[in-house]
Amino acid sequence: MSGGERHYFRLNLYHRVLHGMVIASFLGLAVTGLPLKYAHTGWGKGLSLALGGPFTTGYLHRFFALVTFVYFALHLGYLVRLALAGRHGMFWGPESMVPQPRDLVQMVQHMRYFVGLGPRPRFDRWAYWEKFDYWAVFWGIAIIGSSGLLLWFPAFFSRVLPGWTFNLAIIIHSDEALLAVGFIFTIHFFNTHLRPEKFPMDPVIFTGRVSEEEFRRDHPAEYERLKRQGRLEGLQADPPPLWLRNFSRVVGFSALAIGLVLIWLIIGTALR
Amino acid sequence: MEDCLACHADKGLARGAPVRGKTLSVFVDEAVLQGSAHASLPCVACHRSATAPHDERLPAVSCAGCHAGQRAALGEGIHGSRKAEAARPAPSCAACHGTHDVKAAASLSTQTCVACHARQVDLYRSSVHGRSRARGDAEAATCRSCHGPAHKALAKADPQSPTYHLSLPRTCAQCHADPELARRHGIEVGAVYQQYMDSIHGRAVTRSGLLVAANCSDCHGAHEIRARTDAGSRVFRANIPRTCATCHAGVYRDYAESIHGKAAAHGAAGAPVCTDCHSAHQIRRVEGAPWQLDVIRECGTCHRESLRTYRDTFHGKVTQLGLTRVAKCSDCHGSHSIQPASDPRSRVSPGNIVSTCQQCHPAAGKSFAQFHPHADARDRVRFPRLYYVNLLMISLLVGTFAFFGVHTVLWLPRSLVERLRRRSGSGEEGPDR
Repeated sequence: MSGGERHYFRLNLYHRVLHGMVIASFLGLAVTGLPLKYAHTGWGKGLSLALGGPFTTGYLHRFFALVTFVYFALHLGYLVRLALAGRHGMFWGPESMVPQPRDLVQMVQHMRYFVGLGPRPRFDRWAYWEKFDYWAVFWGIAIIGSSGLLLWFPAFFSRVLPGWTFNLAIIIHSDEALLAVGFIFTIHFFNTHLRPEKFPMDPVIFTGRVSEEEFRRDHPAEYERLKRQGRLEGLQADPPPLWLRNFSRVVGFSALAIGLVLIWLIIGTALR
Repeated sequence: MEDCLACHADKGLARGAPVRGKTLSVFVDEAVLQGSAHASLPCVACHRSATAPHDERLPAVSCAGCHAGQRAALGEGIHGSRKAEAARPAPSCAACHGTHDVKAAASLSTQTCVACHARQVDLYRSSVHGRSRARGDAEAATCRSCHGPAHKALAKADPQSPTYHLSLPRTCAQCHADPELARRHGIEVGAVYQQYMDSIHGRAVTRSGLLVAANCSDCHGAHEIRARTDAGSRVFRANIPRTCATCHAGVYRDYAESIHGKAAAHGAAGAPVCTDCHSAHQIRRVEGAPWQLDVIRECGTCHRESLRTYRDTFHGKVTQLGLTRVAKCSDCHGSHSIQPASDPRSRVSPGNIVSTCQQCHPAAGKSFAQFHPHADARDRVRFPRLYYVNLLMISLLVGTFAFFGVHTVLWLPRSLVERLRRRSGSGEEGPDR
């Protein structure tokens, strides 16, 4: 991270604050939920005890669920605001999060590039795996959140739903949570932070900015497009200040460490 | 002695007995005399006023002249009490030790006690203690082991007695607190005394001094103690419910009517009796979390599938983490009065299930009760919805990780190459090709 290099904003403060809430609540939910799923293991019992016992752990889990619902609502509000403001290309096009045929093509190209059969695809604002991460969280909250609510207020929901749906909700909540935890702590961590080009982590989600070199390498199509449209200059930023870089390191490495310990415990239990 | 025997060697020699019209033999067998513990003593050592010959009846012999300590001890115990002295036969010195054939204290056996305590000695001889003794086991308890020295023997009701209700456990512990002894005699439960003292019964007896709380003999019997493998034993498996019922009559009534009690009464080998859930010596308060959580596992020793499926649910997992507030086996099924779901009295029968759920979920209704607390996602026949949803979730999990696993494994070396290339400087030429 050379001092004087030109930087550009990639993520605004709203994005970063919301992702901060995602990190905090996701780790919180994982740490308080896994002891229940792994109640039969020593580490499950120990973790539950360390958190103040199953009763307190349950309360914390619901608290982090509320944080999740809050950021989910904030995000939906953000989308509505953008849509009402008539933001161009929100639902389709190079800046949209919506999966498009181009993403499928680029995914195939990317995998060909892995094995040396072609050049690296020129990604625009969102690479296909970034879109997958976004939608995985979106889908995850919908599935885990709704099944979790069902289990939180069974008597209330039983007025409209038959009781056996709670049996389904237990399975869905638990398995989907395992998928989410497993995916974030391995695939997302690798794609975003741990792969050698970014190792040990990519601080963009905390600083919001990327260096010009990184921008042109990771999102060349976006860079060229913004330049062409004359919007690039407006995104120029100072390099992230030292305090922000330190902040990203502390928060980022803590989150990575918690996630890696949890996934190590999960895999260890599965292999036992 | 020669002088005395000049007359008393005559087998027909007799005098008037206390009972009118009867006579009492005053014949003395020299052989018996020679074999007694007092063989070395002259006749006048006991019959102090005797002269040869004498016409008058001699005064009664007083053993206290020599054995003053024993006489005093007798006065402190039940054997010297007025009530005992009024009994026929009274426990006088001679009644136990004999007269001319006086025996050394060490040579006296349970046979000595038979004269008055025939029923107790009879029971003792059939007991595990009596039989061991008969087999030549010198460590097996006799009358004195539990009741204390004979002269000072105290009634069970006397707080000083070793067999007093509150003192008995300590008395049994003289032998049974010794793990070495248990090992030598093949007694399975070695730490029985320690376990009992920590149990709800032991604490009630020793800390609260409750006379109604069970001590050793309440369960095992006193003189008739038998091994638990003996069908006549109060602690023989099939007899345990009746034994506990001597105090816990209400619980027994429920249990006897339950599916467990009926099965046990019909001799079903696996049917639980009181001690299966409550243990024998370590019986704990049922209000306590440790017992409530452990007993779940106990139910699972027979109901393995039910325990497994229970552990799949929130109820089962939270209890596994040590919280007792959520439903445990007995919260839904009852404890002593467990009935099969098909029985209308059962708490999980269709007619009662909603009110059972309402114990914890006051707003629960008929629909709520359709939740299956023991659903099995592996059982396609009974739970098809659950089975297929589970299959779908597993496929999603496996599919996602399979795809991204391959994706990552391929990306890793490529990314490594990219980073090395960039570090060596060639990457600086341009951001892209």
